[in-house]
Amino acid sequence: MIGQLFRLTLRGIADFGLHPVAQLLTLVAVGMVTLLTGLIIIGLHNINVELLKSRGEVEFQVYWKADTKTEDVLKDWAVVRKLDYLKDFKTFTPENALTELATTLGETGDFSWLADNNPLPYSGLASFAVPPEAQDEGWAARLLTELKSLPGVDKVHYTPFQADLAQGWMTITRVIVWPIIGFLALIVSLVVYNTIKLSLLTRLDEVEILSLVGASPAYVRWPLLTGGFIQGVFGSALGIGLLALVHSVTAQTLNFPPFFIEIQFLPYDQLGIIAGAVTLVSMASSWVAVK
Amino acid sequence: MFSGQSIVTTSEDKDQFHFKADETLKVIGLLQVFLQYCVQAGTKSRMMVKVDRLSYNFGAYWALKDISFTLGKGEFLFLTGHSGAGKTTLLRMLYGALPVNRGRASVAGFQLNNLRKRQIPQLRRKVGVVFQDFKILPKRTVFDNVAMALEVRGMPRMNLERRVRAIVRAMGLETKSYSTCERLSGGEQQRVAIARSMVANPELILADEPTGNLDFDLTMHLMDIFKQFHTYGTSVIMATHSREVLDCVPEARILHLQDGCIVTDGESSINEENEEDD
Ligand SMILES: Nc1ncnc2c1ncn2[C@@H]1O[C@H](COP(=O)(O)OP(=O)(O)OP(=O)(O)O)[C@@H](O)[C@H]1O
Ligand SMILES: [Mg+2]
Repeated sequence: MIGQLFRLTLRGIADFGLHPVAQLLTLVAVGMVTLLTGLIIIGLHNINVELLKSRGEVEFQVYWKADTKTEDVLKDWAVVRKLDYLKDFKTFTPENALTELATTLGETGDFSWLADNNPLPYSGLASFAVPPEAQDEGWAARLLTELKSLPGVDKVHYTPFQADLAQGWMTITRVIVWPIIGFLALIVSLVVYNTIKLSLLTRLDEVEILSLVGASPAYVRWPLLTGGFIQGVFGSALGIGLLALVHSVTAQTLNFPPFFIEIQFLPYDQLGIIAGAVTLVSMASSWVAVK
Repeated sequence: MFSGQSIVTTSEDKDQFHFKADETLKVIGLLQVFLQYCVQAGTKSRMMVKVDRLSYNFGAYWALKDISFTLGKGEFLFLTGHSGAGKTTLLRMLYGALPVNRGRASVAGFQLNNLRKRQIPQLRRKVGVVFQDFKILPKRTVFDNVAMALEVRGMPRMNLERRVRAIVRAMGLETKSYSTCERLSGGEQQRVAIARSMVANPELILADEPTGNLDFDLTMHLMDIFKQFHTYGTSVIMATHSREVLDCVPEARILHLQDGCIVTDGESSINEENEEDD
């Protein structure tokens, strides 16, 4: 049984020699479909990365209660400095703040008379840069709550614009990406199915004859399935190889002012999913293509 | 045809029980009936092909009309008839390539009327078929083409090689064993097809004009091989146009088809055939 399976697998591999040109063309076609799919997904991926990048940057203005003791404020600052993804944390004592205010207002602003009775509280400007992979749903709101919950903090201001944009993009991805992926999957399936089916036309005689001399459907199909597997693996490898080539040539094309976009290659898991899907489709196609 | 009755009523038996009472005779009578029944049952299972009121149509054209015949195990049957009479169609039905919808048919123990899909390979492993158009794979070698019939039956490699070599030698193809079939002449290809039908020792061989492309000597040689299988108990149905082929197997029955109907079914009495042809 195992021996039989092994022999049939070998036959599936050896059968590549029977119609080398047809097989090669199929392989190239599968590779090209993979390449096109890869290009579209790279596009999506990079748009996503770019948007996630800017949306991951958020600034909070934090004000402490006026009556908080200095050492408590310092404790809170230490906590803030330990927060994940903190990019910058500018802190202001009331004195700093006053000076800052004075310099901002220029000559007209002389607040030295306030120095002894400074009304300004301790404050800070915390900027975060949350990388895309850490941007799960509600991350901005969670940061806000975290800051607000510090014992001495009075109020936190932040520009809701970025966070809203983020939420918006999240919704868009959820609505748009899956139809696009589904559409791509459909196209890949159709093209690969037709290609494999065409390449099997050269072998329908064999399928018929094998079944006429009493071969079971599994016996007939196993070598074809092996062939489909090989087509899928090598075809998608070819496609991904070409994708890498195209990427290496074009990666820097948008990396100039004002874009500064360096096109990123797909992460390994996504490449794996593409290759796996293509292989699966070609195997399924070679199964379905013969009745 | 079957000598069921004579088995029981030998004179020896009668002598032994002669003096006994009537009852004994009655018992013997019952025994006789029982044995007869057994013989009948035996005949049933000894039936290789049974076709009953079988018809087949391609659209509006009826290629077979109301065909009935039986073929016992070990019998040799010729199918004759002009071109287009329905010989190939009948054979195709017998190996499950065309469905049986009108009438009934059974082959090698398989009811063809409600044959399940997965039974088709099982049926075909009991039947060796020589196709009129050979149906061999041109890109594969003679050896591979013949071995195919054993491979699909899962025969181990050692046995397989021995058998394939033997049948290839019998077909006079040993020097071409490893040539691809596309390089063979028509007659050589036909012999590959015949070798493939025989190599698995099937219970039934269906041969559709197996000697169509062969010269007289080769035809005689191959008919000898068919007869050899027949002698060892293989049933054969052979479609042919050739008088020479019919003459080779005098004990065979002949089923003469005309426009899809059986016009004669009988033992190969060559004279009768001649009369009909004249
Ligand atoms: N697939 C088909 N579709 C339509 N008609 C068919 C088909 N196959 C066979 N026929 C018709 O059925 C009839 C019987 O054909 P069949 O092949 O059984 O003849 P045959 O007795 O084998 O002839 P030959 O001696 O030439 O091989 C013919 O008239 C043929 O045209
Ligand atoms: Mg015919």
